[in-house]
Amino acid sequence: MKNLVSKEEIENVAKLMRIELDDHIVHVDRVQKMIEYFDILDKAGVESEEFDVQEKSITKLREDKYIPYDEKLIEALKNYKENYVRAPKMV
Amino acid sequence: MTKIGLEIHCQLTNLESKLFCSCKANYRGFEPNANICPVCIGLPGSLPRLNKKAVEKATMIAMSLNCNTPDKLAFFRKNYFYPDLPKNFQITQLNVYGEHSIGQNGTILVDDKEIRIRRIQLEEDPGRLIYEGISEKTQITLVDYNRAGTPLVEIVTEPDFENERQVRLFLNILSDLLDNLDVSNPSLEGAMRADGNISIEGGNKVEIKNVNSFHDLEKALHFEITRQESLISRDIPIEQETRHWDDKRKITISARIKEGEEDYRYFLEGDIPWITIDSQTLNKLKADMPESISSKKERYITKQIPAQVAEVLSSDKFCSDLFELAHNESNAIVIANLITTDLMGLVDTDEKREKSKLTHQHLTDLANSIETKEITRTSAKTALQECVATGLPVSEIISTLDLGHVSDESELNKIIDEIFIQEPNTVEQAKTNPETINYLIGKVMEKTKGRADPTLTLNIINKKLS
Amino acid sequence: MNLGISALRYVEEVKNGSFTIEEFISKTVEQIKKHDGKLHAYLSFDDHVIEQARNLDRKIANKEKIGSCFGMPISIKDNICVKGGKTTCASKMLENFVAPYDATVILKLKSEDVIIIGKTNLDEFAMGISTEFSAYGTSHNPWNTDYVPGGSSGGSAVSVSAFECIASLGSDTGGSVRNPASFCSVVGFKPTYGLISRYGLISYANSIEQIGPLTRTVEDTAFFLNIISGFDPNDDTTIDNKNEDYLSNIDAGVEGKKIGIIKEMVGQGTDKEVVSATNNAIKKFEELGAKIEEISLDMIDYSVASYYTITSTEAGSNLARYDNLRYGYDFPLEGYEFNSYISKARKNFGPEVTRRMILGGFVPSAGYAGKYFLKALRVKKKLTDEINEAFKKIDFLIAPTVPVLPFKIGEKIDDPVALFLLDFNTVIANLTGKPAISVPFEISNGLPIGIQLIANSMQDKPLLQAAYALQNTVKLPEVPI
Repeated sequence: MKNLVSKEEIENVAKLMRIELDDHIVHVDRVQKMIEYFDILDKAGVESEEFDVQEKSITKLREDKYIPYDEKLIEALKNYKENYVRAPKMV
Repeated sequence: MTKIGLEIHCQLTNLESKLFCSCKANYRGFEPNANICPVCIGLPGSLPRLNKKAVEKATMIAMSLNCNTPDKLAFFRKNYFYPDLPKNFQITQLNVYGEHSIGQNGTILVDDKEIRIRRIQLEEDPGRLIYEGISEKTQITLVDYNRAGTPLVEIVTEPDFENERQVRLFLNILSDLLDNLDVSNPSLEGAMRADGNISIEGGNKVEIKNVNSFHDLEKALHFEITRQESLISRDIPIEQETRHWDDKRKITISARIKEGEEDYRYFLEGDIPWITIDSQTLNKLKADMPESISSKKERYITKQIPAQVAEVLSSDKFCSDLFELAHNESNAIVIANLITTDLMGLVDTDEKREKSKLTHQHLTDLANSIETKEITRTSAKTALQECVATGLPVSEIISTLDLGHVSDESELNKIIDEIFIQEPNTVEQAKTNPETINYLIGKVMEKTKGRADPTLTLNIINKKLS
Repeated sequence: MNLGISALRYVEEVKNGSFTIEEFISKTVEQIKKHDGKLHAYLSFDDHVIEQARNLDRKIANKEKIGSCFGMPISIKDNICVKGGKTTCASKMLENFVAPYDATVILKLKSEDVIIIGKTNLDEFAMGISTEFSAYGTSHNPWNTDYVPGGSSGGSAVSVSAFECIASLGSDTGGSVRNPASFCSVVGFKPTYGLISRYGLISYANSIEQIGPLTRTVEDTAFFLNIISGFDPNDDTTIDNKNEDYLSNIDAGVEGKKIGIIKEMVGQGTDKEVVSATNNAIKKFEELGAKIEEISLDMIDYSVASYYTITSTEAGSNLARYDNLRYGYDFPLEGYEFNSYISKARKNFGPEVTRRMILGGFVPSAGYAGKYFLKALRVKKKLTDEINEAFKKIDFLIAPTVPVLPFKIGEKIDDPVALFLLDFNTVIANLTGKPAISVPFEISNGLPIGIQLIANSMQDKPLLQAAYALQNTVKLPEVPI
């Protein structure tokens, strides 16, 4: 079995994604299964392919105009105090 | 052999709106979180809408720095978590699938040294953080999203700088360039930020971050070079690392997070199509680009304006704009002189320039009045001051302040006689020391509020002395 | 007054005065009270629908002009922002989120005077195929309440199928409109990518998803498409469809059209009832004058892997903004440091979403980006080329919408790869950006089977014409509620 996914890798990814996990082992198995399934992509013979992108001409982009948003959006958010949004302290 | 490379972030403050929404690009002066909309605060379901002028202006910057500009632009997501980042990713550019950022492989001449520009990219600024509370328990971070989404152009150079002086010159050239292109006001606080990297004598590269102004960058570079030299002299190897500039203590300190620890999971931004720039648009941009500073300077020199004056005049958009409108074949030198010698000193801040009521017509009229000897060069300065303050027509100012040339011989005779009586010792000295004559002329100017005809005054004094 | 009428019929009847808007809305509300306790299609309701109905009736009485929807009751999948109402994405992470703005499609519908009855259930953040991953409990298939309604737009499909509204808007990332439409015997449509604005749709996989209507008839879908499609300055990925009228000439028929049956979608892994239904559909098309041929798409084998690679990567990024600081649920931040707070807060994602986040962090990360993500993009391109080649010879592709019959609640939820493969027939339309539709076609032992048609990009109108033709070859039984 190639690409054995390790518990450490899962822990790192959980940290990267900022999700506290209680059940790393479950994810090790699961991600391993998915990665193995994704290995099928190796058989697709696409090494030399480009990929498609949606295109848009610069002429069709938004005009540079200042349009103030007409509602007091800050009041619709949670955790705001005196018009600031509150976040936990940074270490 | 010192090698310094720079990473400069310039806000496009002269745009009307942010990079991906129609909130104001220049966020200064707003109450906290009063310049926001669903897009720039990353509300669920919001989508970015790219600003056409931002792309145009960024392309002009790239062209001014002699970069290759791609025919297709691509945007990427840089994913990380921080409270000032509304979507917890930044939309930026990368050259991963070919070269598709705003510009690459440019050059700029700094004092005869060619500095290579590796890459220029368009991206969005995050919001701003304020830390509140003193004790361990109460400290909270306050977030203001007014700045989030402000258009940024990031300019990355190769490590071609050899010393701080070249860095300083480059930053000045860059500021003037951005001002001249009318994309940015470099004097606005926070409009230009720069990070650097330094290695000396082939040692490891050290990145310097958290530098908040060009001025601080010089200090940081200087400190870092000294620090590295000191380590080398003691045979201590220089670690490859990121260091932060501590503005309070004026030193660089090792950052706790090592480079490379954060994985940004870069991938293509699916909400923005690849932007095609056809050759017609590119040509129009080239044609619309304001004349470059060096081109202006050369042009001014052909008008017989001294190189130093031409240098100063061409680098300052506010002044060169006035000059362009005010001058003609005959008065170019006088007007250039008026601007650089007198005007620049009078309006030496943005605020003063904003308040100034001076127009190019004033300059033309002043040059005329000097030419026809209606006023002296010295009283022209006074008149200029009045133009700036009141905006009244030059003719009115001249008569109200009684600035007309005093060329009446008898009047001058009387004034000079008075001075001769007041300054007998000086008069004696003047008989042998021609330099002291200037002092006497000065006194005449004082008495006449600068209106005395200098040539006539000199003649009369000389006659009286002999 | 029959609640099961089509949107077009509803408009006619209101204009005729057969009933008032208030009468219809009241009866709809009654229907919901009667059935939704069991079916659980809805997550939240608008409290003022009767009032809105009365207002519109008054306008009609005063001979004032009102919008083309004449107050018809519709439901909206709860991942589309409706201003002033909760938009939870069926997640605990957005338990308290009240959208402060309307999605573009909502603005367009409101300007035509729809009445939004409420928001419908979905798999959490639209990640799922059965609605069982909703954090607020699954929805139930009105054809047999022990069975799943499909997903992720399960609630939308149920609400239309059970006469709890006339039509619904869902979202389709890998089949999430077509799949539940097939399972609940309604019409489900995914347009060409870029035809309908995504502004206000809470993103899951933004490069391939689209909003799509779920309706009782194909004509109704065309009717709604006319209202909600078209260039939107708020969405840079929308395209200009030049105000195409999708309803006109919908009965153009399929005489002379060439239809390709996707070989890989009627072979191994497809339930025999589903194969049989597909063959019946093909026969019907032949009777209508179309020519059928077999089409093979080699890249199909890689489509699901490509799809999940791309969607988990995009989802990992699109869901990063849910840090519970500006919107979310109640969880005080005092005493926490930033990273530990948001990591704990994001524990509130359900298990399937968490799994996709982990996968989505893995796949594009520095060590693996070239291996999986880039390959997936290339597969996407090659598949698109292949399908474009096919469309040079044929006008439409046909296949079953889902390879299997609807399954029981709880039956498949533990087998991730099996669940993924249920998307097999539908993901290619998302990966290639082509328009696709599921038309209700058969009921087999009380369980619905839908037939899928796919057309080339921007051929949404001809697609609707073909779907209309197919729809009119069958008369299906009424839903047994």
